[in-house]
This record gives sequence, structure tokens and C-alpha cells, in this order.
Amino acid sequence: MGSAASPLQTGLAERLTALFWRRPRVLLALLLAPPLLWLGLVYVGSLAALLWQSFYSIDEFSGVVKQEFTLKTFGELLLPQNYDIILRTVSMAAAVTLASVILAFPVAFFAARFANGRWKAVFYLGIMLPLWSSYLVKVYAWKLILAKEGIITWAANGIGAGSVLDAVLTTPVIGGNSLSTSYLGTFLVFVYVWLPYMILPMQASLERVPTSMLEASADLGAGGLRTLWSVTLPLALPGVIAGSIFTFSLTLGDYIIPQIIGNSASFIGMAVYQLQGTAGNIPLAAAFAVIPILIMLVYLAIARRLGAFDAL
Amino acid sequence: MTTAVEFSSVSRHFGAPDRLVKAVDQVDLVIEEGSFFAMLGPSGSGKTTCLRLISGFELPSAGEIRIFGENCSDVPPNRRNVNTVFQDYALFPHMTVRDNVAYGLMVKGIDRRTRRSRADDMLALVKLEGFGDRKPAQLSGGQRQRVALARALVNEPRVLLLDEPLGALDLKLREAMQDELKSLQKRLGITFVFVTHDQGEALSMADRVAVFNQGKVAQVGSPSDIYERPATRFVADFVGSSNVLPPDLTRAFGGPAEWASLRPEALRLVASAGARVTGRVTALRYLGAGTRVALESYGQELAVLAPAGSALPETGAEVGLDWDAKSLHMMAGA
Amino acid sequence: MRSDRPPLLLTFGAIGGLLFLHLPILLIFLYAFTTEEKSFAFPPPGLTTEWFGVAWNRADIWPPLWLSLKVAAISSGLAIILGTLCAAAMSRARFFGRDTISLLVILPIALPGIITGMSLRSAFAMADIPFSTLTIVLGHATFCIVIVYNNAVARFRRLGTSLSEASADLGATTFQTFRHVILPNLGTALLAGAMLAFALSFDEVIVTTFTAGQQKTMPIWMLDELVRPRQRPVTNVVAIVVFAATFLPILAAYYLTGGGEETAGGGK
Repeated sequence: MGSAASPLQTGLAERLTALFWRRPRVLLALLLAPPLLWLGLVYVGSLAALLWQSFYSIDEFSGVVKQEFTLKTFGELLLPQNYDIILRTVSMAAAVTLASVILAFPVAFFAARFANGRWKAVFYLGIMLPLWSSYLVKVYAWKLILAKEGIITWAANGIGAGSVLDAVLTTPVIGGNSLSTSYLGTFLVFVYVWLPYMILPMQASLERVPTSMLEASADLGAGGLRTLWSVTLPLALPGVIAGSIFTFSLTLGDYIIPQIIGNSASFIGMAVYQLQGTAGNIPLAAAFAVIPILIMLVYLAIARRLGAFDAL
Repeated sequence: MTTAVEFSSVSRHFGAPDRLVKAVDQVDLVIEEGSFFAMLGPSGSGKTTCLRLISGFELPSAGEIRIFGENCSDVPPNRRNVNTVFQDYALFPHMTVRDNVAYGLMVKGIDRRTRRSRADDMLALVKLEGFGDRKPAQLSGGQRQRVALARALVNEPRVLLLDEPLGALDLKLREAMQDELKSLQKRLGITFVFVTHDQGEALSMADRVAVFNQGKVAQVGSPSDIYERPATRFVADFVGSSNVLPPDLTRAFGGPAEWASLRPEALRLVASAGARVTGRVTALRYLGAGTRVALESYGQELAVLAPAGSALPETGAEVGLDWDAKSLHMMAGA
Repeated sequence: MRSDRPPLLLTFGAIGGLLFLHLPILLIFLYAFTTEEKSFAFPPPGLTTEWFGVAWNRADIWPPLWLSLKVAAISSGLAIILGTLCAAAMSRARFFGRDTISLLVILPIALPGIITGMSLRSAFAMADIPFSTLTIVLGHATFCIVIVYNNAVARFRRLGTSLSEASADLGATTFQTFRHVILPNLGTALLAGAMLAFALSFDEVIVTTFTAGQQKTMPIWMLDELVRPRQRPVTNVVAIVVFAATFLPILAAYYLTGGGEETAGGGK
């Protein structure tokens, strides 16, 4: 194997080995240089470009980007129609996060406490596969499910609950022409797509709760629900916060789901996409994109305070 | 006799200048060629760092290390004629036992056939003929230890370093391996340097022992030197838990006003009447080969090892002590 | 408590949650066989396999498929090199700026994809870089690095330093140690990371819409069909292909890392 190396090669390898041994930092620098160069140039450079662009503005008459610094574009975010978009997106992200916590808890708790052997693997794959499998296919599946002529309408009529569905759809704000063109539909799909991101960290932090602590609580006479409320849930909190970072951030930045399933009301992501594309207003698109960054920075600062990073 | 390894005021410091940890502090050490040298000490005493300084995985912060007279501060580990048996064996899990043993030859570019026969010779040396095609995971702890030994010996090192080589083995296997290592060392004539925290292991296997404490060498000597003539209170206490007598008690035992050590087995229990020193028994601990009698004398805790079969006092009884004057050993102050 | 019987309500909640995650995808499969091509009527009025043939003969499907495969292959290749280098450095020592680097690696997936996408779009606009396969790869490789990095860092941690030390002790140079000891032990973790990176890249749509310009990757083709459908069952056939292209690598990664101890979360 190594026998084919020429003396010249061997000499160089030996010299470099000696160098790396005497100066470990040289090796460290050589290892780090390519990835740091890439991330620094491509990613950080782009983020800087984004920030830079957000301080430009667009000339209303010619539609040409004016390359001088101004806060005018950020000011436009406060116009009622733009401010509404931000408020709507944040409310949706909060609702989706809350629903994910509720739905994720039984799955995470069961997987962490009761699943053994084969079932452990079933739960693991059962959560990992939807997490990783095609995002677009998942969204498409819900387009099929929520369509007016789709399976939900069929099932509701089948069990004689068609009127219930109609009642839900006529409810102001969340209702609409059909589930696939309502806020309720958008909300459902968001929850579906981001749910695994909540389950995993929650399960991880629940697995770290020592069983003895739950038994201690039971010994002290606390009932099952009481133990759940006053012992298990507080201990699972770091996982919940870690998961909420994902669900919140992903909802803030998504533009595909509300575009395909919803009532065409705009979200931050859609605004960014449309402004940079058809409208050609890159400065305003960039300013919009800064909003999720700011929100997430605040969110992460709070999460860090609460010790959520240990559960990531 | 040639000197195999020599430390001249070697120090190894870790951490930032304001919170410096002196893992090895001004150590001078001479290891003779062909000796079986033990580095003994509690964990964190600097013995493992000294071993890693010889193998080259640590560089001295100050001082100089010479291997067979050559200053090796510029020689990387792969160019040192020194090999190591690691504490966790560090066998390559993806290679067969034979490939593990032949690894040192392979990286030198030696041809496959020679490698194979040399590896099989080494496996025979450690009594593992026929195990060449297995993977390390299929071996027991003792067998893995032998593979690690064969792998380290294949390059014919002039010094073999062993880092707590028997730590992971159970008691019976450990004793068998002690004898085997000792006879292997005699047969090959290679210098063995081994690190241990087990004083029994160090005393029974080594020709010379260095006792480490807080990064410094407390004493170097033959096993009997270390055991019978400890240089400091630490050595007396760590090697075989001797009775350490403060100066006033040494006087009561008939010595000068100095710190002294007195081995529990050097003390004999006698009748209290007319005894030179008396004490009150506080506890008895049966050890099989004898009984350890704890007693209090002059406000000081003392231990006596009563041989098996001798008459034992009751707890709380007043007993007398007797000893040979030559077993009272004076130590340098600290 | 682990051996106790779980409360009934919890069992129903857990199983219900898993079904909620999996049932919708099965519908995709069903609708690929429906005879109804204008709507998503349930139950399908009839079943047929003709759409597979129709999809095969649709000329507009093949170029996006090739483009996606090409982008995914190049991106995961780049990610393997960059992610492994970074993991090797991070597993070696504590050094100043270590936390900053790990944050930098994770950021492209921690921040919403739209930010990565819009940032790249802004940069391309400022530097006058025309859209091309390269611009797509730039984005994809950036968020794939962390996937490989996570897998590799976990394996490096498990390997520890003693194998490398043993190799050096026996006379190997740094390069021999890498080739004969580190690489063989890192192999499956890298392969798993590459699989996941491939799946992630093949499926990515949010960043891609900002960096592709007029080019169509498979997900962008699907997105167009979702917005302006024609021959809906063909979209389902393609969806099955896309699903398989992500599902199979994930399953492979799971087995490569021995039950997924290292893949968990994956940091996606």
C-alpha cells in the first residue's frame, strides 16, 4: 500500500508531519481555511449584501435602484399594508408553534418513556422520515387532502359531519371558500410540515428527565396529571423552546405553503419573493428579509437565557 | 550501562499563563537501558504526561528529553524508536488482528509477505497463534491487550511504553499478565517504562520505581528502597500505607525528633504491661493473610498488621507495641 | 416507569401523531393511479397505470430531473470536503473563535431559507453574476455543509484521539494516518452525511427559486405544476420519484450510522 511512495513524496510527508506536530495550529489553519473561506465569502458575504441592499431604495418613477444609503426602505415596512404582513406572519408562526407543542407532546413523551426495542426504532424512523422527506411532496399531499372535492370533504359527508365543516369554513378569519383556500388550511399544513422539528428536541429533553424524579413525585402522592403538569412539563421546557426555534423560524420564512394553500393573503416570505421577482424591488425585499433575522435574534437571545441550547 | 531515557529539568504546563497547571514540574529522571521502570503515582500526579513526553505526544514547556543520548525535542512521534501500549489498547477496529500487528511495518513500506510472517511471529510471541484473521471486537480484554503488545513490539522499539496496561483486566488475569510481561521483558531485553497507580503492581514488576506527586518526582529507587525507606511522608503513605510518625511520636518510639515511617507489619502486639508504647484498639479489619488492627496512641492513629493465626485483641482493649529499632525509618521533613 | 403500561390517552395521542405524519404521503401514491386528471376527487373514480407512461414521455420532465441530480451531486461532493475539513479541525482542539465557527456552520439552516435565498440573490445582483448551475450550487453547498459536518463531528468525537496517536506511534505520517485509520473509520458517517445532503439538495425549493433564475430544477417544476396544474396525476408520478429520491438516501443513512445515533435531528 504505502510501499509505492517515491522517496521524494515520503520526504515531503515526513517534513509536513513534523511541522504539524511542532505547530498544531498550522494544521488547524489548513483544515479550517477552505470551509471558512467558503462560508465567509458565499454566506457571510451574501448576508452583508442583503443588509447593504436594504439600505438602498427604489425610485418610484423609473423603478431603478438608487444606490445611496437611506432608511426610507425600512420606513416603508411601517406602511399599513406591509405592517399587516409582518403581524400576520408573526401571529401565524406563534399559532403554529403552540399547536406543534400540543401535538408533539404525546408522541415525544411516548417515544421517550414507553417505547422499547423495536418500538423505539419505529418511533425514531417514524419521526425522522417525515422530517427529511421531500418538503414539496408533503405540501402537495395536503393540496390533495384539503381540496374542495378532496378526502376531508368526502369523509365529513360520509360521517354526516358535512354541516360541521361548512360551519367551520363560514367562521370569519379562519374560514374560506374551501379548506385549501383558508387560513385554517395554511395553518394545518404549517403544523404538519414542521411538527417533527418539535418532536425531536422535545423527546431528547424528556429522555434526559430521570425516571426516578417522576417516581419521587408519584411517591409524594401526586397524581399522574399533577406529575405531568408540575414535574414533566417544566423539565421538558428546554426541548420545547429548542423546537419552537425551528417551528417559529421556519414559519416566518416560508413562502411556498401560503402560496399554494391559503387565501392569497401575503406573508413575509411571499412579499420577499414577489418584491425581488416580478416587482424588481430588491431593496424592499431585502428589508423584509431582515425582519425574520431580527425576530430570530431576539428569540434566540431569550432561548439562550432559558438554557434551551443544551437540548439542541 | 547505557541511559535509555533521560529527563533534564523537564516541565510541562497547560492552560493560560494566569491559570497555569504544572502537570510536570522540573523533573529529572534517568531510565537505564534494559530496565523495567515503573512510574507510580495517584491520578493527576504527572506520570502519564511524562510517558507522553517520551512518546512525543506532549512537548516539554521547558527542559530537555534525551532518548539514547539524542535530544528528541525535534523528533515527531512517528520518528521515535519508541512504541506504546495504550491504556484503552487503541486497536484499529476496522483491521484484522494481523493487520493491526503489521501496521507499523506497512507504513514503513515493507512488502506484504514479510509483514505477514513478522506479524504471525509477534502473535506467537504473545501466544495468540491463529487469531490473525479475527477483528479486535471478537477478542476478550486480555487478548486485546496481547494484540496491543504484539503491535507495539513489531517495530522492535528500543523502549516500550505501557500506559496502565493492566488497568482494564480482572484480578486473576492481571496477576497472570504481570508475570508474563516481566518474563517477556527479560527475554527481549527491551527497556519497559510503565505507568500505574497500583503500588503493588509497581513493586512486584519493576526494577526501579519513580513515585510521582503533584508533577514532581518524590523518590526514585528500587522497590525495596521505596517500600522500606520512603523519602517523604507522601511516599510512605502512598506506597503500602505506612504509619507516618510526627517528630514527637518518633521520640516516643525511641528515635530523634524527626518525621519517620513505620510499616504496619513491623509492629508486633504485646501485653500492655511493661510495653514501651501502648495504645487502645479502635477497629479490626480482617484481610485474609492477616488482620489490620487500628489503634490510638498519643492521640495518633496507628495500624498494626497481625499475622494470620495470632491472638487478636478486642476493640477497646489496651495493648502494647513492640518493634525492631531498624524498622523505624527517618524521612526528610516534608 | 419505562416498563409501566402507558396511559391509554397517551398511546392514542402518540399513535395518532405518527399517523398524522404519515398518512398524507400515502395519498400521493393513490392519486398517481386515478383516472381523474382535472381535480382531486376522492375517492378516485377509477384506477389506471397510464400516467407512469405519460410521465415517461413528457419531454419537460427530464431536463429538470437531470439538473436536480447534477446540482445535488456537485453540492454534496463539495459539502463532503468542506464539512469534513471543518469537523476535523473542530474535533482537534479548543481554540479561540471555536463557538463562532460552529455558529457560522449552522446559520445557513438555522435562519429561514428565504434569508439565505434573498442574501444570495442580493449578492448576485450587486456583483452582476448571471444565474447558472453554479449559482444554484453555491446556495445548496452552503446549507449542505452542516449536514456532513454534523455527521462527521459525531464520528470524530466517538473515534477519539487514541487511534491517531497509536498510528503515529507506530511510525505513520499524518497522511498515512488519515488514509489508513481515519478515513476507513469515518467512511460510513461521511456516506450518511452525503446521502442526507443529497436528499436535502435534490428537494430544496425555497433557496433555489432565488438562485435559479429561469432554470428549472425538479422541485421548481413541481411548484409550477402546483400553481398551474395540467395533467395532475403526472405531478403525482413525479412526486413519487422525488419522494423516493429523498426517502431512500435517508433510510440508507439511518443504517449506515448504526440505527441513526449520529443522524438524530441531523440539524436539518
